[in-house]
Amino acid sequence: MKLKTIHSLMFAAGLGLATLASAQAPAPAPAGPGGVPPTWAQGRTPDGMNPALVPNPSPLVAKPVNEILIDKLKVPPGFKIELWASGMPNARSMTEAPSGTIFVGTRFPGNVYAVVTKDGKREVKTIAKGLHRPNGVAFANGSLYVAELSRIIRYDNIEQNLDSPPTPVVVFDALPKDEPHGWKYLKLSPDGQYLYFQIGTPANIVVPPSTHATIMRLNLKTNTIETVATGVRNTVGMDFQPVTKELWFTNMGRDWAGEDLPNDTLNRLVRPKGMNFGYPHCHQGDWLDPEFGKGRSCDEFDKPVLKLGAHVSPIGLRFYTGSQFPAEYKGNIFIAEYGSWNRSKKVGYQVVRVVLDAKNNPVKLEPFVTGWLQGEEYWGRPADVQVIKDGSLLISDGEAGAIYRVSYGK
Amino acid sequence: MFYKNIKAIIAMAFIYVGVLFPLQALAAPDAVLGKAKSQTCFACHGADGIGISPNIPHIAAQPPLSLFYQLVQYREGMRKGGGMEIFAKSLSDGDIRDIAAYFSTLPPPPARAGDAVKIALGQKLSQQNYCNSCHAPQLQGQKQVPRLAGQSIEYAVSQLRNIRSGSRVDMDGTMGSAARGLSDEDIEVLAAYAASLN
Repeated sequence: MKLKTIHSLMFAAGLGLATLASAQAPAPAPAGPGGVPPTWAQGRTPDGMNPALVPNPSPLVAKPVNEILIDKLKVPPGFKIELWASGMPNARSMTEAPSGTIFVGTRFPGNVYAVVTKDGKREVKTIAKGLHRPNGVAFANGSLYVAELSRIIRYDNIEQNLDSPPTPVVVFDALPKDEPHGWKYLKLSPDGQYLYFQIGTPANIVVPPSTHATIMRLNLKTNTIETVATGVRNTVGMDFQPVTKELWFTNMGRDWAGEDLPNDTLNRLVRPKGMNFGYPHCHQGDWLDPEFGKGRSCDEFDKPVLKLGAHVSPIGLRFYTGSQFPAEYKGNIFIAEYGSWNRSKKVGYQVVRVVLDAKNNPVKLEPFVTGWLQGEEYWGRPADVQVIKDGSLLISDGEAGAIYRVSYGK
Repeated sequence: MFYKNIKAIIAMAFIYVGVLFPLQALAAPDAVLGKAKSQTCFACHGADGIGISPNIPHIAAQPPLSLFYQLVQYREGMRKGGGMEIFAKSLSDGDIRDIAAYFSTLPPPPARAGDAVKIALGQKLSQQNYCNSCHAPQLQGQKQVPRLAGQSIEYAVSQLRNIRSGSRVDMDGTMGSAARGLSDEDIEVLAAYAASLN
């Protein structure tokens, strides 16, 4: 009887979500066993109990090529997209070595891949297995750095040893072990001295420990870490602007607060230290959290440079530094949107293009590659982008376990 | 005795699981083929997907993706237990899809009556912990999230404890986080409640 009531309540809630998305009133947080909502569920309200909104399954296997629907992918006129490499379960973050080898990190299978091109053909080598959430990859001085969930490791002389990789050197192993938002993005600073990474918030919406919801950097000379920015819920994509050397990053907004709020964002680090982007008090620069925003003001915090839409899940981003694409693409930002789960109608599942003006202010946001989402079903999920030496753009697909290449002309 | 059985079953596994598909192209999941490929599983999980002893899970009517995920995790060494990592080792993605298709189409395990007080406590706790926001309203599972309804109590208790201790790791930390605050008594009543559903 009681269950029946709950069922119908949830059904009604689902309808409400679909039709009255913007009119949700914050409901009181339900109590857990001790009168407090369990940590993982904080921020959920009874109307957020729609059981259709379970997180998307995380891929452990690669799709066979006959299920990679390359013909469905749409690019602007003059561009071409092709399947560049496949058979890499959960291929996500990418980095290019000076030789052209592409290293690829994963979240779930614990693998790291190297894609080498030989006589125009790609060969995929699995260079590491059994790591714990090795999502972050960066290449410096002949070594591959990999960020696992709670440590950073290094494979020296990796390119000479792709078939029998050396035992990794543990560079830094004192990072938090929280699983939620614990996988890391890794980015080498332009001067080669620092590795930037994030420590995401350990739940959807909580007041995090001071170590969490941050961007940190590891000084490769002194092997010490320091906080770069705070109030960043979870960034899984960073790049340095090629001229100003400022760090730009994507940031994932909180869940269970509505269909269209708050936005995921694009952010710019204009001060090397001390910026606070608002989490958990203020989201998207101008929207106070229904619970943690009480008594606070968004004026206390630094603001994103662009709202990308709620739940689109922006991950990897890159400035376009190549010369193959038309001139108007120079200095643009490409962002891979992994796609939504916490929304009744799916959004994201595309690569977008952000055009900046001469002062690096975003002036245009538009889709660049679409087609991974067909109706309400997705067959692929773009996870990272990488501009390679020939000026084309690689896109990794964490769902299909593949990499595509976008080129212009020819 | 149990281990002897396992040995024999492993030997059989190499005989039965001989059908491998090329990796480059996969056919749609096929429950009929899946039944043929599941012969090895029947010794413990039953042809009807109902475990033959309390420590063996019922896998009938599990969402196919949930079965697929668990088998892949066993195959890749990401989950261990009951010798499953050995059985799963030789399975291709296609084999696993077919096996999952077969068991997912079987009738669910019957609801199990039990201590009414425990069940009521478990129901309350399940609501407070939002179990149904992922495991679905009747805990029947959805997508990659397993069915708990009708599950063996002993098995459910052991898994919740493993998830709580971290010896079984879930995909994104949600379940680990959800289990962390549970006491042994909580786990017992939750398992009793789940078993009472169908």
